[in-house]
Amino acid sequence: MNLNPFWSMSANTSRKQRTDSEEQSGHSEQRASPARLPFGKKQLPPIPKNAAPITKPASTGTLAPSANGTHASYGPFYLEYSLLAEFTLVIKQKLPGIYVQPSYKSALMWFGVIFIRHGLYQDGVFKFTVYIPDNYPDGECPKLVFDIPVFHPLVDPVSGELDVRRAFTKWRRNHNHIWQVLMYARTIFYKINTTEPLNPEAAVLYEKDVQLFKSKVVDSVKLCNSHLFDQPKMDDPYAISFSPWNPAVHEEAKERMFTYKRRPDDHHKGTQVSGLSWVKPGSMQPFSKDDSPPQS
Amino acid sequence: MSWLSRLNPRGPGSRTGRSAAPSGPCTADPETCLMVFENHWRQVSWVLEQQEPSSSSDDLTAVRNHTDQMLCLLAEERPAESAEGGAAPMGPILELVVTENILERLVQWHLRRGLDSDSQGALLKLFEMLIGQSQQQPLLQHTAVLHPLLRLLGACADPDLGCPLALENSLVLLLNQICVSMARQPVVLEMLFRAAPAQQGSTNLLIFSLLVPFIHRDGAIGQQARDALLLVMAASASNEAVARYIAENSYFCPLPPPEAVSRASSQVLATGLSALYSSLPRKIEVRGDDWHALRREDWMSVSSLVLFMNSLEFCNAVVQIAHPLVRSQLLDYLHNGFLVPVMGPALHKSSVDEMIASTAYLDLFLRSVSETSLLKTFLRFILLHRHDNDTILDTLLTRISSNSRLCMVSLSLFRTLLSLNCEDVMLQLVLRYLLPCTHVMLSQRQAIRVTDLYGKSADKFLSLIPECCRLNAASSAERDEDGAFWGKVVNSPSIESPAPPRPSTPSRLAFFIRQQSSGGGPGGGGPSTPTSTEPPQSGASHPPCPDSPMHQQLANTECLDWDSGYLEYLKDSRQGIEICSWACRDWSAPYDGENPSPNVAAPPPPPPTSNPTMAMFPEHFSLQQGGSGSTPPPGQQRAAVVAVARSEWSSSERDSGEWDVTIGKNNCISLTPRSKKRSLQREEVLPKPLPRLVPSSSSSSSTSSSSSSSSSSSSSSSATPLSSTHAASSPAPHNPTSAVTVGYQAMCNGMAGQEDGCSDNRDRGLEVKKVKRDLGEQQYLDENANQNGSLVTCSSQGCAALPQSIFNDSEMSDAKSPRPNQIPSQGPVAPLVSDAKPPAGDASKPCLASSDLPEANQAQQSVESLIRELLEQAPGEPQLPGDSNGQGISIEAFTQELRELEDRVRERGRAACQQEETARECLSSERRQPQQEEEQQPPSVPEPKPPTGDTKGDGPALVFGSPARPLNKPASQPYTGPFMVVLFAKLENMLQNSLYVNILLTGIVAQLACYPQPLLRSFLLNTNMVFQPSVKSLIQVLGSVKNRIEAFAASHEDFPAMLKKAQQYLVARGKVDWADSPAAVPNLRRSDSLVKSRKPSLGELILRHTNSPTRARHAAQLALAHVRDGGQSLHSALFKGGAGAGSLEKQAEALRVKNAVYCAVVFCEFLKELAALAQEHAVTLPFPHSQEAEE
Repeated sequence: MNLNPFWSMSANTSRKQRTDSEEQSGHSEQRASPARLPFGKKQLPPIPKNAAPITKPASTGTLAPSANGTHASYGPFYLEYSLLAEFTLVIKQKLPGIYVQPSYKSALMWFGVIFIRHGLYQDGVFKFTVYIPDNYPDGECPKLVFDIPVFHPLVDPVSGELDVRRAFTKWRRNHNHIWQVLMYARTIFYKINTTEPLNPEAAVLYEKDVQLFKSKVVDSVKLCNSHLFDQPKMDDPYAISFSPWNPAVHEEAKERMFTYKRRPDDHHKGTQVSGLSWVKPGSMQPFSKDDSPPQS
Repeated sequence: MSWLSRLNPRGPGSRTGRSAAPSGPCTADPETCLMVFENHWRQVSWVLEQQEPSSSSDDLTAVRNHTDQMLCLLAEERPAESAEGGAAPMGPILELVVTENILERLVQWHLRRGLDSDSQGALLKLFEMLIGQSQQQPLLQHTAVLHPLLRLLGACADPDLGCPLALENSLVLLLNQICVSMARQPVVLEMLFRAAPAQQGSTNLLIFSLLVPFIHRDGAIGQQARDALLLVMAASASNEAVARYIAENSYFCPLPPPEAVSRASSQVLATGLSALYSSLPRKIEVRGDDWHALRREDWMSVSSLVLFMNSLEFCNAVVQIAHPLVRSQLLDYLHNGFLVPVMGPALHKSSVDEMIASTAYLDLFLRSVSETSLLKTFLRFILLHRHDNDTILDTLLTRISSNSRLCMVSLSLFRTLLSLNCEDVMLQLVLRYLLPCTHVMLSQRQAIRVTDLYGKSADKFLSLIPECCRLNAASSAERDEDGAFWGKVVNSPSIESPAPPRPSTPSRLAFFIRQQSSGGGPGGGGPSTPTSTEPPQSGASHPPCPDSPMHQQLANTECLDWDSGYLEYLKDSRQGIEICSWACRDWSAPYDGENPSPNVAAPPPPPPTSNPTMAMFPEHFSLQQGGSGSTPPPGQQRAAVVAVARSEWSSSERDSGEWDVTIGKNNCISLTPRSKKRSLQREEVLPKPLPRLVPSSSSSSSTSSSSSSSSSSSSSSSATPLSSTHAASSPAPHNPTSAVTVGYQAMCNGMAGQEDGCSDNRDRGLEVKKVKRDLGEQQYLDENANQNGSLVTCSSQGCAALPQSIFNDSEMSDAKSPRPNQIPSQGPVAPLVSDAKPPAGDASKPCLASSDLPEANQAQQSVESLIRELLEQAPGEPQLPGDSNGQGISIEAFTQELRELEDRVRERGRAACQQEETARECLSSERRQPQQEEEQQPPSVPEPKPPTGDTKGDGPALVFGSPARPLNKPASQPYTGPFMVVLFAKLENMLQNSLYVNILLTGIVAQLACYPQPLLRSFLLNTNMVFQPSVKSLIQVLGSVKNRIEAFAASHEDFPAMLKKAQQYLVARGKVDWADSPAAVPNLRRSDSLVKSRKPSLGELILRHTNSPTRARHAAQLALAHVRDGGQSLHSALFKGGAGAGSLEKQAEALRVKNAVYCAVVFCEFLKELAALAQEHAVTLPFPHSQEAEE
């Protein structure tokens, strides 16, 4: 993340941040190959000791199991784990320039920020929030709302909400995932679509007067970046906040990010020999790898 | 490294004290010392110079006295003031020693006059003192010191002179000192290396050759020798020449070996192990029925084992530090000199005792070895070495299906193997069978890699928690206090979706975490908004709500411990998966159904028809009972075992066992999961009595025969057993000797008796299924018997012997395993039987009964035979052929029940008889021709039969054709491998397994389920996956267990109470002990020492919420061993009066109930664990290859 030397991103808490520091050229929107393994660490967001969770009356009523035996109702664990699994998928995707973090208060709300590195919106840093319906994954597609309405045909100039639904007309579980929404949010900044805009002005400008559009975009980007250091809109311990670069704080954090090696939580458990394998790749035969088998 | 660190304090350490504070005279000024020294030397040299060595003792004494003084002075001398910088010049005394070659002359003089042991000892001590105490000057670097020393040592190595026993201590101590010096001054090693050859000829490194004989010694000597050798090895690791020398020249070669002159060193180690192994106890006497593995405290008191372990540890240390050349040579010898020639045969001994012992030893060795290359040698041996055509692995696999102790020991071994996270092991055990992906429907292949994002599998697992086990939860349900609602979107812009009311709060997870950590009480979180709607599923809930555990935890204080814990399972699962995937990160392939490609994958070995040479123990296989649950036993008569047995059995019939077991002549067993279709077919087909191995087996060793027969019988289930019985009975002389044999035969007889006239083979078809059932039960009975030594004792009439060593019992039971088969019908009897083992003599009778006698007679006989069996069970007793009755067992009690059973059997038998007349013939001669059955069966079916071994046509075929399975299934037949098949079979039989077996068993399955490889993960945990019909899935197995539990619960009114008691008891125990063993996480590698300190606690098993479940269970397993009498006390706690009073059948019934109740407890926990694992897999990130990112 050698993007902008003037600020750095940090979460309020000590939570380890996944470090996809890889820079990807803006155009490579392809989903990172799944094979790439992130170092990121997945875990439930740690819960600060003193922070009292906001409690809310639970809605009543349990979903009745669907008739045919499939489970339409997902218990709390399922919902939470489903979201966790989604988050894991996001990490695996290594989306370029996109960072998200679930809220402390609700697993259904994720904070995020997107860095645009090329194109019209170059240097844009847009914070956003993802809202996931609580009947996920059976509900509508998640919403994605920019903190500051970006000047863009597909972003509502008032609410800042991105028109996600056009890409996910029907949210199909098992097929649609939250990382796709994030990916989509990134894509719109590189490939402008003006049909059925939420921001007609932007759409028209883009069609009719690109120059003016561009200048408006630049203004918008500037505006967004000027609010970068604002307090997070949401008062949440896990909200993403930015602060000016402070070597005392950030150098070390950066260092840790780059050197972080993920290990099992409980690594001390056993000096176990690990990674035992003498299988020669491709051979599928035990002890095919090596050399000196005992001669009989 | 413990070795090296241990070394340090020893040699140098102890000395430093002295040298650090040089005392008295020695501190005198150097000049004085020199003068004194010279004075002494003058006297000595006068003696030395006399031409002919005087034999006068005066001379000797004088020389000795002077020498003492001289060497003292030499040892204490400090080097001369170093002339700035350079090496400190020698002190004056040393200089004199060098120039005059004093030591050499001294030694020469001694040698010339003939070295008696007295002066030899004196010299050894002198040198030892010299080297040990001379901290100031590097004496050994001077040839004037080194050579005489070598000369002296040479004398010790001289075959003529040798080293008297009395001097061994001195010698080893001296050698040890030399090695310490060498380790400190590598130069010395080179000097030795250079100097020695010249003087000593082939045995250059005298020091090695002198040390080697001691390395396997007991006590301090051995320790010093090993330490010394290790030091040399360590030094040699950095010296190519020395290493090569060690490796290529047998300078270790101490022994006489003529041409074996070469490479003796390693050989010595390996052969030493072999020798030591041979002195290990052939039989392990254990008291607890829960015993399943050797822990440190188990073997510390067995000197031969201590000796062996020391040597093994030494090998491990050598491998660790020695030069690669030396290492590979050592490993070589270990493999070819110990594992193959000694361990291999040991594992294949025919007696159950020996099998148990050798398996436990192997397990211990595996756990003790820490060096990767040494471990590899062991694993290679286990996986690839073939002993009589079967790999060690095959052999071990078959033992899982055996009864009781052998099963537990084997499971323990596999647990150890799995804990290694070794690709090669997993490949051989499971993955190679899954690689071709033939176990899934073609359309499902891509689903292999799919992760279950939405918890459907977890949901499915939890839904299998039997209704009857959720009782506790209900009450707590209401209390649900729900605080945080993490799942709730806080500020979201209106979420329009009229989402159905959210079921419950996902936030609980976090909430509870917090609570736990803070120790806060329930409702800690904020305003509790009781979500009335959320009624914890437990109560009424149909679809099991996963979260219920949490609620309960809060609510129900009493049962809280018990019911809660899902969160712990999640945590534990995460950890387990992470550790596992971490450990697997360097595997050669992801095993995800694409890589390696299913098409490329070599076809896995066919079902085991040919492999396992080992005798099988039928019981295991017999399980079956599959969907029985559906039909709860009608009878509410809870008590009668018979009734239960019947019901089960009836249900079982419906299911048709899921597994077919085929036993080959060689006792090869093949397991074939049976498709439902098949089962149906089976029923139709008359099962032919399987040709029991009996004949052949019987001929061999009694034990083996018994085992084999038993296996066959069990496997084949009823039908087979009968046949076998016949065969065995008639031809086979009873081998009274082996209890096992007897037991089996007895069983067979029993069966026959039951069946009555019809019993002949005909019934078999019908009976087979039944048998399976029965077997299962029996098995359980056996286990029970094992568990309660006391009970057993009682039951076994005369067999006083039995009681104590559960071990024995277990063995017995193993052998008897067949009984279970018989038992089935005889429900009540069975237990008895298990307790008392029937004598072999029965076999003959049964045969008669079955075939010849009229029904009435038969019935009687059968009873008699049963009784005999009981009697015979007595361990030591020889079979009592006819007199069985006498033994004070109260038979009447169960006689009646038995009769009932028999009647039933008879009825069936008749029907069957009519149909199959032929069977008998078959028996004797061929033993079953499978053909009929085969014909009926679809060709494809040729399964490798699963253990259950219904009498499939295959079975017979196998029997005859032993190795080559004629009927082998077509290669195409999906087969998930013997390991999975055996595990599932055992699992299906959970209700009858003892608590300990179930703990081990579920632990292993859970361990398997931690593996991140999609092939394995999807096979075990993806409940949505569609497998080929012939492939049984875990969920199916669990479903059948669930049904059985429910059926059982339905037949026992007091089940809820018992369940609660069991839970509470276990929890309570756990609590008590948990406190002191919080950190005592058994280390897989070196568990022994850690565990040593812990207190036993059964309850840890269940106390999962406090600590991680897996760990708790693991701990419990270990701890269980401490509670030798745990089973009994538990039992009595649960069912008062069970142990003491009452007839045998009552006791047996009590055992059976106990097992079932504990099974229910373990089962529920197991489901939670599996659910948690399924969930965690979805959120686990893989680890990068180590090269890419690590170390």
